[in-house]
Amino acid sequence: MSTTQSEIEKSNSSVETVLETNPRGIPKVQFVENVEEFITKSSAPVEVTLGKFQETVAKYKFMEINFLNRKKALELKIPEISKTLSVVEFLVSKQDSDEPMETTFELNDTLWANAKIKSTKTVNLWLGANVMLEYTLQEAKELLENKLDTAQNALKNVLEDLEFLREQVTTMEVNIARVFNWDVKRRRTLKTTSSV
Amino acid sequence: MRMLNQEEEVDAEVTWEDQQRINSFSKLNAKYSDLETTYESKKQEKGFLDDLTEELELADEDELIKYKIGEAFINISVEQAQQRIEKDKEILIQELEQLQHEMNDLNGQMSQLKVHLYGKFGKAINLEKD
Repeated sequence: MSTTQSEIEKSNSSVETVLETNPRGIPKVQFVENVEEFITKSSAPVEVTLGKFQETVAKYKFMEINFLNRKKALELKIPEISKTLSVVEFLVSKQDSDEPMETTFELNDTLWANAKIKSTKTVNLWLGANVMLEYTLQEAKELLENKLDTAQNALKNVLEDLEFLREQVTTMEVNIARVFNWDVKRRRTLKTTSSV
Repeated sequence: MRMLNQEEEVDAEVTWEDQQRINSFSKLNAKYSDLETTYESKKQEKGFLDDLTEELELADEDELIKYKIGEAFINISVEQAQQRIEKDKEILIQELEQLQHEMNDLNGQMSQLKVHLYGKFGKAINLEKD
């Protein structure tokens, strides 16, 4: 990821001006204010400029794919956490009752078993990397709420970044269209003046 | 993609303000379709809960039902199940209202941008959904 970002930075800064970035360091593209001026200044043929622009778009699109994957992963993770949280909350509500609750739980894929569970004060949370830790219900609830919050925040950031990337791609695409149109028009006038 | 006739070409310079408007439009448009998907799935969920409420009206009050919480089914009374469903439904209704509100808001912003951009660029710009 960092290579793409720095590559975009490079290809942008070669065009000129100070780099603006969004809060998470994704560089902003440059808007072409005046096509004619821009082309004369860069002193490269129009095709080269267009190629450069297209390359930049491709880089942003690549980043977009990365972010879309992250979005997907978070969108899976969030319901999972909130599901676990709802069970813990249910256990909390049952904390003080003496009656055991009857459950049917999944022992293995498609295999279910019945169990009576006495009210409990603690649960074991799977932390990943083959580690499970015992927590009191209150602690587990706080931990899960925390994780949910973090995941939701991360999702919000990813969505923001995606919006930002989209804006950069749009700007670049409009740049391309304008340079292209400018070139078409220039050729047309060249043709008419030379034919006269 | 469609080529414009020469007469349709508009000689309007794209300024930074226009570019920002185009960007906003594109952003809002993407956001709108995201919200639309979320709205539909939440609406479906609400429909399921509505069906469930009706179904539970017919259930035997004295019998426990298996209610899925997380990954396991837990035996709870009909009354408790109804309470849980009502609570879930309330949250959903709130979320749906919120989404609807946001969508209306986006729509308003987009039509304003449309007026502006079509006014300046005419047929040289296309802001309609495919």
